[in-house]
Amino acid sequence: MQIENLSAVEIVDHVKSGELTATDCTQHYIDQIGKLNDDNGGFLSTAEQSALEAAKAIDADRAAGKALGPLAGLPVAVKDGICTKGHTTTAGSKMLSKFVPSYDATIVQRLKEDGAIVIGKTNMDEFAMGSSTENSAYFPSKNPWNHDHVPGGSSGGSATAVAAQMAPVSIGSDTGGSIRQPASFCGITGLKPTYGRVSRFGLIAFASSLDQIGPMTHSAEDAALVLQSISGHDKHDSTSAVDDVPDFSAKLNQPLKGLKIGICLDHFGDGLSDAVRSSVNDSIDVLKSLGATCQDIALPYTKYAIASYYVIAPCEASSNLSRFDGVRYTNRATADNLPDMYSQTRGEFFGNEVKNRILLGTYALSSGYYDAYYLKASKVRRMIKNDYDKAFESVDLILGPTVPSTAFKFGEHASDPIAMYLADIYTVSANLAGVPAISVPCGFDGAGMPIGLQLQAKRFDESTLLQAAHQYQTQTDFHRQRPS
Amino acid sequence: MSNLAQDVAKLARLHLPDDQADTTQADLEKVLGYVQQLESVELPEDTEPFFGAIESVNAIRTDEVLPSTNRETILDNAPDSDGEFYKVPKVL
Repeated sequence: MQIENLSAVEIVDHVKSGELTATDCTQHYIDQIGKLNDDNGGFLSTAEQSALEAAKAIDADRAAGKALGPLAGLPVAVKDGICTKGHTTTAGSKMLSKFVPSYDATIVQRLKEDGAIVIGKTNMDEFAMGSSTENSAYFPSKNPWNHDHVPGGSSGGSATAVAAQMAPVSIGSDTGGSIRQPASFCGITGLKPTYGRVSRFGLIAFASSLDQIGPMTHSAEDAALVLQSISGHDKHDSTSAVDDVPDFSAKLNQPLKGLKIGICLDHFGDGLSDAVRSSVNDSIDVLKSLGATCQDIALPYTKYAIASYYVIAPCEASSNLSRFDGVRYTNRATADNLPDMYSQTRGEFFGNEVKNRILLGTYALSSGYYDAYYLKASKVRRMIKNDYDKAFESVDLILGPTVPSTAFKFGEHASDPIAMYLADIYTVSANLAGVPAISVPCGFDGAGMPIGLQLQAKRFDESTLLQAAHQYQTQTDFHRQRPS
Repeated sequence: MSNLAQDVAKLARLHLPDDQADTTQADLEKVLGYVQQLESVELPEDTEPFFGAIESVNAIRTDEVLPSTNRETILDNAPDSDGEFYKVPKVL
């Protein structure tokens, strides 16, 4: 059987029916990693032995007539900021180069219980701080469509792994766009669920009120399958929602007639590349032809989203990253006394972007500055959330570009942090408001680099998001294109 | 003139070598300059801050005794321990 172009849904179906063994499928992807990872740099580490053992166990279960899980035999690549028991988890940082978690993150546990097979850990910007993987302490991942371009970030390795066909699906995390922006740059589908939909237990925290784990796949149908497995309340994460989890695949095939889509004209203004504008406009026509109607909406405070985000996220990061002090997590610098050991360890093992954000957060939270920065940013965040609440009174989805441009080249934004931050301009608002959002491939620019369309929905309405994305993908084949 | 980056680095217990202080300061100023726009954003008078994307009722779990991860496993990741406690350099 030709495994290469099977979707996640097809892999599971074939494993269940016996047309494909979990072992053959897993071996195929291990071979792909062996062939392609040196050039693409998607994976930081692989888990060949444990993956093949898990695959054999699934094949044995099937032979014995036992019921198989909903992800039986599905290889999955997991971002290296998510804890895997007994397997090094670095978060892309030298600080954790030797850290081996004693437990699986809840999402890893759920994936494994459902029969998925973890084949390796993917590269990322250090502690998820970045938009290109250039901040990985190990190496940058390449965009499989053109190796001179970044794959996006911070979940760049997860995007590279799927786009280069080293994994059928991967898991990323998204604090300000870290799933959707690399999905857009690499021509795949990336979903950031509603804040609280997926447990964050075992995700190495960057900004706890914004972080959310989600699937990165070729199609919305595959995203629904994976989201189903990882969703739901977790007693280890008090912010995970107790709301019932719907069947995310149930609505996929329903027509879009009557669906109301909001378009914010501010998101089509200056700074948006012509190619992206044109492809996103084409996608509006496709959705209209499927029965959706479109109307203008206003999100007036989202123009302050980047400013609000770059206060709130560093503040939370400065607090979260204080745990890396040379006492508990493997690496320590030599010093004569405890305070010096703390600062030397953090100075030696954190990279520059992480240091900058810790300093920014520490400054913004320090006495005398809290009101002007953190408190003001959090009030602006309230207004952004209110904008969304108001918009969703009249529409079901909000549509726009995921990123203003296609993937930039390595080093292009090296000297200007603000230029790099602006790559997140359309994605951060969803994190600030807590709403779910998806990026789906919707075209290519003149140089053949992928373009992403972003859809955002009401909190906990991933079903409508996935339905619209899937219906769009029944009419287009951008998500079926592969880099040569 | 004192360097802002170095002052904040002390608060954050983050060693910043002298030769990096100026570039770090410049990066910090660029971002602070950008986020300065928040100052002029006009908000309705009674705007409450929004600190978390979920504003639910207090999450309460059942009060039951469960085993925790054993000490040796946790200490396996410690740079230095005596098998029971973390070991650190002297405090003063």
